[in-house]
Amino acid sequence: MKLGSHTLLDAICAEYLIGTLKGHARRRFERALREEPLVGLRLRDIERTFTPLPSEAIAVTPSTDGWPRLMRELGLEVERVPWYRRFGLWPSLAAVSAVLALAVAITVLRPEAPRFTDIAQLAGDKAPATVTAALSSDRGLLQLRASQPSTAPSGSSYELWLLPADGSAPRSLGVVGALDARVTVPVTQVSELRRGAKLAVSIEPTGGSPTGAPTGPVILVGEVS
Amino acid sequence: MIDESELKRLLSVAALRGGAAAAAFERVYRLTSPVLLGVALKIVRRRELAEEVLHDAFVKIWRNLDSFDPHGTAIGWMSAIVRNRALDLIESHDMSRVDSYHDTTRSSHLDSIDDNPEASLDRLFDWGSAEGADQSLARKRAAAVLRGCLGELDAPERQSLVLAYEHGLSHGDLAVHLQRPLGTVKTWVRRGMEHLKRCVERCGGAAT
Repeated sequence: MKLGSHTLLDAICAEYLIGTLKGHARRRFERALREEPLVGLRLRDIERTFTPLPSEAIAVTPSTDGWPRLMRELGLEVERVPWYRRFGLWPSLAAVSAVLALAVAITVLRPEAPRFTDIAQLAGDKAPATVTAALSSDRGLLQLRASQPSTAPSGSSYELWLLPADGSAPRSLGVVGALDARVTVPVTQVSELRRGAKLAVSIEPTGGSPTGAPTGPVILVGEVS
Repeated sequence: MIDESELKRLLSVAALRGGAAAAAFERVYRLTSPVLLGVALKIVRRRELAEEVLHDAFVKIWRNLDSFDPHGTAIGWMSAIVRNRALDLIESHDMSRVDSYHDTTRSSHLDSIDDNPEASLDRLFDWGSAEGADQSLARKRAAAVLRGCLGELDAPERQSLVLAYEHGLSHGDLAVHLQRPLGTVKTWVRRGMEHLKRCVERCGGAAT
């Protein structure tokens, strides 16, 4: 490619920005973006041409669960604690009331939080934590709780799989960034989510398995009881 | 209205990871999550999926606060992360499967798209919000130039760009929706971007 003339590269950058670059080509472009400085330079140049900013007109209020869930996943309440240390006195009391306030806030913010029942324990030698899977009373949501906070290694995601009791191929239930997460159970998988089926978590490229089947190491498995 | 300079300040506080980081990031979330959920919803079109996209995007935003380039706009950077996550999701194996379960073919999904390009243009540009007091003139001018240049494109080119960008449509989706051959649609997108870039450069409107 000649210096100063990047017609093809510019065209690909433009397709990436608009969003018409899809699938394999998009992922290859993103890899090139990380590895080739020239690609990033050209993309930034095109971005200066075309970066519409989203308008308030499309705003939609997120569910009240959004921030508490994000806070739990990112472990932000831990970073929020240090302010009371500055006061010196009653640190444990302050901590207790902060936790209480948080609990109240979460309860108040989620008046209709669904009830969950534990259905499986997931464990594995290579896993950073064990995970309890719980199903909502309407069977529409699956909640994962890790024994300790664990986020996917940089450049990868965790993907949750359902291994049906009849031994057929694994089905993806969703891609998550951390082992504390909630996924929506696709309607037709609900009936498969029964005794004898298994749940598993694998490590996949960011955004999930490119093939629709697990491609990375399976780190957690547990049977639905 | 999102105050861009306030947003940048909050992001830089959060990036320091100190005691004030969580509160600053919460404020960022409160300010931007409605508009970013709107961005995701336009692309994935299902509420629960859009909420997942928003969640994943905010996880990524938190982890990549260091890589925000303060020369750009904060809301532009964040919405690019949301868009990328949403685009990943709609092309994943899962999504097509979920769609088929709900007995919605991609083409009936396309029928429901509101494609009044002028209304879409209004949705894509927020005249009041991006302007912090410090940089308002340059930024406002860049937005005006971009909008003007989009207006100068041939209608099919403009419509292709706006539809693809706002709804995350592929060339194939565009061809179905606009009822034109794939090759024609690809040419519209490519030429549209070329013309747009030339126009913006000629007008000196590239934001720096």
